Amino acid sequence: MSAHDSDRRNTLAKLVTAGIGLIGATLAGLVGAAATPRVTARAPRWRKAASMFDLPQDTPFAAVLADRQADGWYETRKETVVYLEKVGDDYRALSATCTHLGCRVSWNAETKHFHCPCHGGVYDRDGRVISGPPPAPLTRVNVRLNAQTSDLEVEL
Amino acid sequence: MKGLWAGLVDWLDNRTGFRKLRHHALEEPLPAGTGWWFTLGSVLLFGLSVQALTGIGLALFYAPTPDHAWDSVRYITTGVRGGAFLRGLHHWGASVVVVAAVVHLVRVVFFGSYRKPREVNWIVGILLLQVILAFGLTGYLLPWDQRAYWATVVAINISKLTPGLGELLASLLRGGSEIGALTLTRWYAIHVMVLPLALVSLVVAHLYLMRRHGISGPVRPQSGPSQMFFPHQAARDLTMAALVGVLLAVLAWKGAPPLEAPADPTSSNYIPRPEWYFLGLFQLLKYFPGRWEVIGALVIPGVAMGLLVLLPWLDRGRSREARQRMAVLVPFTFGLAILATLTVLGARDSAPASAARWNIQEIGGAAMIATSERCTRCHRADGLAAAIEPGHISKPADWVAMHVADPEVIAAGVRDAPQGSATAQAETKAMIAAVSRLRSGAPPAQDAATTHIYREFARYCFSCHVVDGAGGKDGPELTHAGLKLSTETIELRIIDPKMVKPDSDMPAFGGKMATEDIRAIAQWLASRK
Repeated sequence: MSAHDSDRRNTLAKLVTAGIGLIGATLAGLVGAAATPRVTARAPRWRKAASMFDLPQDTPFAAVLADRQADGWYETRKETVVYLEKVGDDYRALSATCTHLGCRVSWNAETKHFHCPCHGGVYDRDGRVISGPPPAPLTRVNVRLNAQTSDLEVEL
Repeated sequence: MKGLWAGLVDWLDNRTGFRKLRHHALEEPLPAGTGWWFTLGSVLLFGLSVQALTGIGLALFYAPTPDHAWDSVRYITTGVRGGAFLRGLHHWGASVVVVAAVVHLVRVVFFGSYRKPREVNWIVGILLLQVILAFGLTGYLLPWDQRAYWATVVAINISKLTPGLGELLASLLRGGSEIGALTLTRWYAIHVMVLPLALVSLVVAHLYLMRRHGISGPVRPQSGPSQMFFPHQAARDLTMAALVGVLLAVLAWKGAPPLEAPADPTSSNYIPRPEWYFLGLFQLLKYFPGRWEVIGALVIPGVAMGLLVLLPWLDRGRSREARQRMAVLVPFTFGLAILATLTVLGARDSAPASAARWNIQEIGGAAMIATSERCTRCHRADGLAAAIEPGHISKPADWVAMHVADPEVIAAGVRDAPQGSATAQAETKAMIAAVSRLRSGAPPAQDAATTHIYREFARYCFSCHVVDGAGGKDGPELTHAGLKLSTETIELRIIDPKMVKPDSDMPAFGGKMATEDIRAIAQWLASRK
């Protein structure tokens, strides 16, 4: 085999390898593009969480906000829990989602703390971390009183 | 006839060369002294085969959508012939595979089998362990019960901690903006397509490399003739696989795999715990507060796996004898002991019980559901609708609320509409509250008299009075009513409040409630001090 033939052979080998690589990369790109979700963030809006008359004294009230939401071909209910409480003349709303790894915290009437059932995070009434692994206080949610309807509205 | 058969086999061999392949696969000479310790890989392969076959059986019935996943798994357990056993085999098989993989790995470490020239096969083995754990994690989500949902919430949030790539990784795992239908289809595809493909490729590579270098054999080479894999070692493998198979069958037969209440993102009384083989990691997460959480979630597990991968290069002495390799075996054993301790601590941990306590309205509502003709007319063993079983309610909360409040919508002409009175409204509210608790289990056991009091209290009193932190606030709180009021005073107040307090807004219940119920509630309240 001449040097010329050998060169041709090497070039062809490289072309074939590159061709196979190109086909593989195209297929992987197609699947990758399909697999990368298209997430469109919805702008927060004011929504009714509870009537101001629903709020008990001396204990945060867990309001469940339901939202119809597209989930692929599916329309599901997205349910968010917010703890509402009257503080002086004002109202406070805390997200019930633990800032550690996203479990649902609940109010413990005996200890007067929020407890996370997953990894033992504990927050005080104002949402500040008392013990356990949470890296941040419970997220504050904007809340307002609609004077006409007496509804408490939160911005979610 | 025999001649015809032999001729057919000869023809097939001529065309395919299968005899040579069979010879190559089975007639492997093994070092003298190869014994029971070298059956662990085969036990693992047996476990993986069980998973593949039972997985196919389950896939015949499973539907990966939020509306149907839970119901289809329940159907497998209750409606498919041998379905509960099939699911039991797959469930316990996952544990068998994890245990077999870890024991196999420990054997390889203690025998120094990863030494040169078997480094690459060691790494392939570590990759196989990751694939097995990924199977466990993705398999969890599929029943779409409470454990599935919350384990996935935590797993996806852990992936967010990955430096730089966290959000991308989390969104790839989630599929949509929230955990839901797109997450379920995605994890199902990973569980039944991506991971099996990875597993088969890695197992083939593992076996090829094992044959390429031969098995490592006993730590101290023994003299004597080498044995063929088939049938000597194969008989040991088969014996071990049969023993493990019997154990697995007993587990699947006796211990029904759990199917918890359907996934409920708003649930605040569910206490999520992972499958036992992730309890060590679960426990580790608790020790790293605040911004250090990435250390427990990713750094420590990552470093541990990294050290395992590097073992062949960290342990380069001449001898495979354990006594000569203490520098490696002591830290390795120490690491195993830490993992075991964390797992035990994780298993012992239970969240505060009071968070999960039922209130009076919920207990009363559950009693109404169990006894009210309105419900039991259809919801009974041979009724028009399924009996209401705690932990087995898959209808969403808004459907239940609609069903309880408005019979025309779901059961037109079959049920009575609740009367428009305040009492009927209170009953409806109590039933809805009870259903949301019944999703995750039965109400606490208590005597019939107390349950009766709770039911009547939920019906007539709860919407205006708080007891133990729950109730309406139009009237005074009654948690410690007995401190101020006697049975007689309370009884009078219930019968006709204006007789005791002329300006009272409270309606009179004399004539509405049975006299003995009023008496019982008064006694119960007076005993609360």
